[in-house]
Amino acid sequence: MAPRLRTPATLLAALLLSACTAAVEASASPTATHVPSEVATPSVQPSPEPAYPRSLTDDAGREVTLAADPQRIVSLAPSNTEIVCALGACDQIVGVNDFRDGLPDDVLAALEDVPDVATFTGVDREAVVAAEPDLVLAAGNELTPSADIEALAELGLPVLVLYPETLDEIYADIRLVGEALDETEAAEALVAAITADVAEVRDRVSDLPAPRTFYEVGLFEGEIYTAGEDSFLASLIELAGGEPITGDALTTAISAEELVVADPEIILLGDAAYDPTITPESVGARPGWEGLTAVREGRVFPMPDDLLITRPGPRIAQGLEALARAIHPEAFE
Amino acid sequence: MRAAATTPALVGRLPNGPTLTRAALVLGVGLGVLLAVLLLAVAAGSVGVGPGDTAAILGRRLLALPIPETWAPATETIIFELRLPRVLTAMLVGGALAMAGAAFQAVFRNPLADPYIIGTAAGASLGAVIGIVLPVLLPALALGAGTSLLGIGLVQVLAFAGGLGTVLLVYAVARSGGRVPVVTLLLTGYAVSSVLAAAVALLMFSSGRALAAVFSWLMGSLADASWPELAFAAPLVAASLALLVVRWRGLNLLLLGDAAAGNLGLDVEREKLVLTMLATLATSAAVAVSGTIGFVGLVVPHLLRLAIGPDHRLLLPASLLFGAALLALADLGARLIGGVPVGVVTALIGAPFFLWLLRRSRAAAPVLSA
Amino acid sequence: MSASALVRAEGIAFGYPLPGGKRRPVLRGVDLAVRRGEVLGVLGPNGSGKTTLLRLITGVLRPDAGSVTFAGVPVGEWPRSRLARRVAVLPQHLELPAGFRVAELVEMGRTPHARRWFGSTADDERAVLRALVEADAMDLAGRTADELSGGERQRVLVAMALAQEPELLLLDEPTLHLDLAHQVSLLATLHRLREQRDLTVVAVLHDLNLAAAFAPRVVVLHEGRVAVDGAPDAVLAPALISRVFGVATAEAWTAEGQRHLALADVTASGVRTEATTQQA
Repeated sequence: MAPRLRTPATLLAALLLSACTAAVEASASPTATHVPSEVATPSVQPSPEPAYPRSLTDDAGREVTLAADPQRIVSLAPSNTEIVCALGACDQIVGVNDFRDGLPDDVLAALEDVPDVATFTGVDREAVVAAEPDLVLAAGNELTPSADIEALAELGLPVLVLYPETLDEIYADIRLVGEALDETEAAEALVAAITADVAEVRDRVSDLPAPRTFYEVGLFEGEIYTAGEDSFLASLIELAGGEPITGDALTTAISAEELVVADPEIILLGDAAYDPTITPESVGARPGWEGLTAVREGRVFPMPDDLLITRPGPRIAQGLEALARAIHPEAFE
Repeated sequence: MRAAATTPALVGRLPNGPTLTRAALVLGVGLGVLLAVLLLAVAAGSVGVGPGDTAAILGRRLLALPIPETWAPATETIIFELRLPRVLTAMLVGGALAMAGAAFQAVFRNPLADPYIIGTAAGASLGAVIGIVLPVLLPALALGAGTSLLGIGLVQVLAFAGGLGTVLLVYAVARSGGRVPVVTLLLTGYAVSSVLAAAVALLMFSSGRALAAVFSWLMGSLADASWPELAFAAPLVAASLALLVVRWRGLNLLLLGDAAAGNLGLDVEREKLVLTMLATLATSAAVAVSGTIGFVGLVVPHLLRLAIGPDHRLLLPASLLFGAALLALADLGARLIGGVPVGVVTALIGAPFFLWLLRRSRAAAPVLSA
Repeated sequence: MSASALVRAEGIAFGYPLPGGKRRPVLRGVDLAVRRGEVLGVLGPNGSGKTTLLRLITGVLRPDAGSVTFAGVPVGEWPRSRLARRVAVLPQHLELPAGFRVAELVEMGRTPHARRWFGSTADDERAVLRALVEADAMDLAGRTADELSGGERQRVLVAMALAQEPELLLLDEPTLHLDLAHQVSLLATLHRLREQRDLTVVAVLHDLNLAAAFAPRVVVLHEGRVAVDGAPDAVLAPALISRVFGVATAEAWTAEGQRHLALADVTASGVRTEATTQQA
């Protein structure tokens, strides 16, 4: 397929693309003739890879060209860190987000001496540049502020934005990182393993009746935040055999009135993992909640594995299993 | 006869003689402080770079001195691409706000006037928040899909247009019978600002993940300073400030009141309009690249008025220099604290000063008139 | 009224706008000509339009009807700054901005003549010095406005007006806040200046005797019109005062033959009587 694409038209397209991303390519070779369209699709063949420079399309639709196999990686989000480490490149990470909670122990140990270059409030651009990365893995949807992404790209750093919103997109992002690190075989193996784990969970619950399930992400300023409509979390709950009660697609908030109308049969407390005052008892005491079916029937559960569920990384199958066990404990007896 | 006897002794006491040396002294000190702050602010940051390397990199890149490169390329990137544009933007914004503040305080004969007083901040905020939230609501406009034009983002363009447009609107609404009474202007600015602030609050509810960016803009942050943004704002600010400085006579006369200024040959209504628009132009351009940074425009002209007197011939350029130095220092503090919006730092310094000012103007004569 | 009048008002009427589009009439048709070098006193009860008349002469206000010319050209056609080179105003009330030194304030009077962007010319400096000396404000030059007494402020205002080097000086109640000695000294200064500078002076005054002593010619405004116009001795008669001000007065004569107007007894209204005959 690849040779056929090297027509004048694709060359022109590639030139236009490279013109659009001139800043990104400042440090890269100017011959960006590799066609990126095939890369982001999940169906990458583990066939012989073309040599670097290598062009990739990230989840924000940006074209990113890597001059060579990256040796120094900055990861601005824990999910990215987990992907890189799962592909065996943990020792190439030279900068991470300071939020290290919930990382696997071996990853934590490997990153012990790696400096923090980003915080909850933003990216320390100077620290990123000082780490001299040849690949920066950012997160989308403002988890990494888009201003920081643009600024780093302007400086000529190759920034890949990862923002998976479905299981398939997690697979695609693992493959994308594999492509970037020239670890495509490891990526395929990882995706296969996750796929198998997910299939096993799904098979256990797919024939069971789906209870109305409310997953509490957090409370803030009197607003209740949950899974947004059509969100990743909502799709996971569905996979885990529940019928998700969703909030606003954009804000992910749901009003107490809507919640009462939706009347959940199961309430899962993701925020209980961080706030010890949130317990099934305290939830039952909230005004208006005592009449909910889940509260009356005693099916309100804290979710200590919230990070596994909400972090779109390589351990998502474990998160899915934790969800499924909470919703359908009978399927795992 | 009396004149002949007294004249020689008095020449030295007349405004021109001493003022020249005083002006040279004040502006010389201001320039020196500014340069020192520039070096300090560029040398200091979350990544340590020695003052020697800092000076060498600046000399090589700015003055094209033949200095050999003994530092890592990353160090040069940090100094030249990250810190220098940020420090220079801080200086541009601080200088613009301080000078515009000095002008507004004279035009309104109100010691509590600041550059945002007739709607610049509210208008620019609405523009910026639209620019931030629009890509969230319409993903087609999102990252990488052509939101920036010549390196200037939608946010900057809308903020600039919002600030300028709001003041034009306020001025037009407040105008009646060819006159724009100051009280009407202030009240109109307040009312229009309230409406726009409500619109900003409304948009914040739909900003989703961009809420942090909105908040950072409203507090005022220089984290996104870059050469293209600086190139966008600097000519606008420089032109309006230059035109403002040469109108120092008008600003001085307005302190005498409209009637007296008119009797001294000033076309008062026209002068107020021109001064307001020039100060607004500088403010809008500054705010477009920094967000609404408070207190600099209020505090700096006041401190200087106490220190060097109210003559705008000296007050305007001094506000430029010391406002620039102050905001660059405040931003250095913000960077060292770790990613705090610089507006938080200026508010921490400025708010207590504001309170002191209020107490002082109640206790003694108002600061602007005897 | 000679054709070469410096200021000529013909049939001017003016009213201040009221809510609802109507106007409250103040002047209802005033004719007035002021010759070059003349000293004119303008008298009249409160609200008779004295200050309004000055504002119409400076062009701050435009008449509803009639015309005002300065040096033969309608005031409205004068560019503001060019008119300010020839007409100076000493307002009834002026807040001097704090922090400025007196010399700097007086230099503001040079604004209409300013030729340089930042500095001032030798002409400017000369004019400022001369104004300070002639207004007897030289000793105040280094002080700041906020430390001045009422009399000192008035001298500074005169110096500011003189720095304009005007041909016509308009004064609005210049003696209002001054004690007797300062009133006399100010009016004496004005007379001296009239001679030294060939100045034309129009002064709104409230004290009839002071006006009579100061101005060879007075006009009395009443109900928006000129009630009388002429030499004070001829026009300031008890009958006129009674009609215009509604106050009974008596004429008194000094040993030198100067005439004074004395208030009739007002103890009936509970006010203590003071001798109102003032030495001019």
